[in-house]
Amino acid sequence: MYGQETDPDYPTKLAEFEARIARGEKIEPGDWMPERYRKQLIRMISQHAHSEVVGMLPEGAWITRAPNLRRKQVLLAKVQDEGGHGQYLYHAAETLGATREEMLQALLTGQAKYSSIFNYPTVTWSDMGAIGWLVDGAAIMNQTMLAQCSYGPYSRAMVRICAEEGFHKKQGQEMIIQYAQGTPEQKAMAQDSINRFWWPTLMMFGPHDSASANSDELIRWGIKTKTNDQLRQEFVNELVPLLHALGLQVPDPDLHYDEETGNWISGEINWDEFWQVVKGNGPMNAARLQARQEAHDNGRWVREALAAYGERHP
Amino acid sequence: MDTQWPRYEVFKQDRPGEPHESVGTVHAVDAEMALQNGRDLFARRPKCHSLWVARADAITSKTAEQLAADDAWQADIDLEAPTETYLVFQKQTERRGMTFTTHVGEVEASSPAHALQQAITTFPAEQVFVWWVCPATAVTRSEEADTLPMFAPAKDKLFRLPNQYRTVFTMQKIKRGKDVIE
Repeated sequence: MYGQETDPDYPTKLAEFEARIARGEKIEPGDWMPERYRKQLIRMISQHAHSEVVGMLPEGAWITRAPNLRRKQVLLAKVQDEGGHGQYLYHAAETLGATREEMLQALLTGQAKYSSIFNYPTVTWSDMGAIGWLVDGAAIMNQTMLAQCSYGPYSRAMVRICAEEGFHKKQGQEMIIQYAQGTPEQKAMAQDSINRFWWPTLMMFGPHDSASANSDELIRWGIKTKTNDQLRQEFVNELVPLLHALGLQVPDPDLHYDEETGNWISGEINWDEFWQVVKGNGPMNAARLQARQEAHDNGRWVREALAAYGERHP
Repeated sequence: MDTQWPRYEVFKQDRPGEPHESVGTVHAVDAEMALQNGRDLFARRPKCHSLWVARADAITSKTAEQLAADDAWQADIDLEAPTETYLVFQKQTERRGMTFTTHVGEVEASSPAHALQQAITTFPAEQVFVWWVCPATAVTRSEEADTLPMFAPAKDKLFRLPNQYRTVFTMQKIKRGKDVIE
């Protein structure tokens, strides 16, 4: 089922497999697939699952400080959704033979990566708006692409997640729109959130295509259908005119409109910062892992209770 | 402690009369907990009327590729053995969607392989990408009485739906307003 390159039939099977993908067919559990395809998917899906779970932390911190009941309901529902998204994704990875236990272990020991955006702090309420609109908006661009992915379980999880993220993005955008039109203090708060989250959001799309090691293979196997730079450009083109219409500034002095291509061209991303955060030296890396570990430890009695119940009622 | 509990496939019915469709899996120590977890995971939004769960290892799955590869799976079918009811599910389309297989009906069979054979003749379709068969005894279903306590709470959580936010309209209005001022 998982093709090894040492198998004499590998080239033939690989050709059939790639032809299926080219025809737009989905690869399902049970079908033949290259071992590399399986490994790449487990890496991507589990990182994605970890990002959903760690992503609950920066927003979870503000639930008790929501300014009114509606905002609190919405934020609670959103954070609950992110936990659910983590579940969908861990389960998609399990169809490839990974276990939830080993994936969680990799997260807690710091071996596994998750989206670098969650290693930035949330310091004001309107950061909830910026995360919803910018961060979830960027995630939706990536996930809309992944919904076309050649692997059935990942694609279906992504379709479900995209449908739910639509709510996340819109509740955030609604907040920023409201604050941008509110009191001078509210507008300044929204601008400050955009200032802090703009660049880390652009970094979410990953390194430039020229520096992205996995891109070619991922595109050939239909796991990704667009490159990091393409997605980043789509995001910038969508967001810049909207932010300008709201009278908000994009914190990029080099940003300009290119008449010829119709693109908004960004200045250069600070890649040193990006790699520092990826390597674990971002402002919140240690705090996020510690919070995750504490949540895991505090949940121990629940796991024990479930296990005891399971033994009594086999 | 090992918490790698059995996986249950979850089947969701959006409205009465519609088929149950597989929406994903949950881990649970028993079927009752699987139903509860399935509800928390797949019924956070208004559309759910009924859920079924079945242990993943009780389901026999064959992709079109596996069926085309060989007939070995049919080798040991014993037509004399006593039969039981199996539920049949199909993956019917390659179109992008959030559900996998759809419940199409039942067959009487003496083994999973027999059920699969029966399913293929009983529920022919132009193209089936994946077949699932599962003994009816392995399926646990939410009861009609559960509909209210399990699924009603999500019904009025309309704030979870993107169409409750008028951001596109508001942005258009703001842009138009700006044009007038400028």
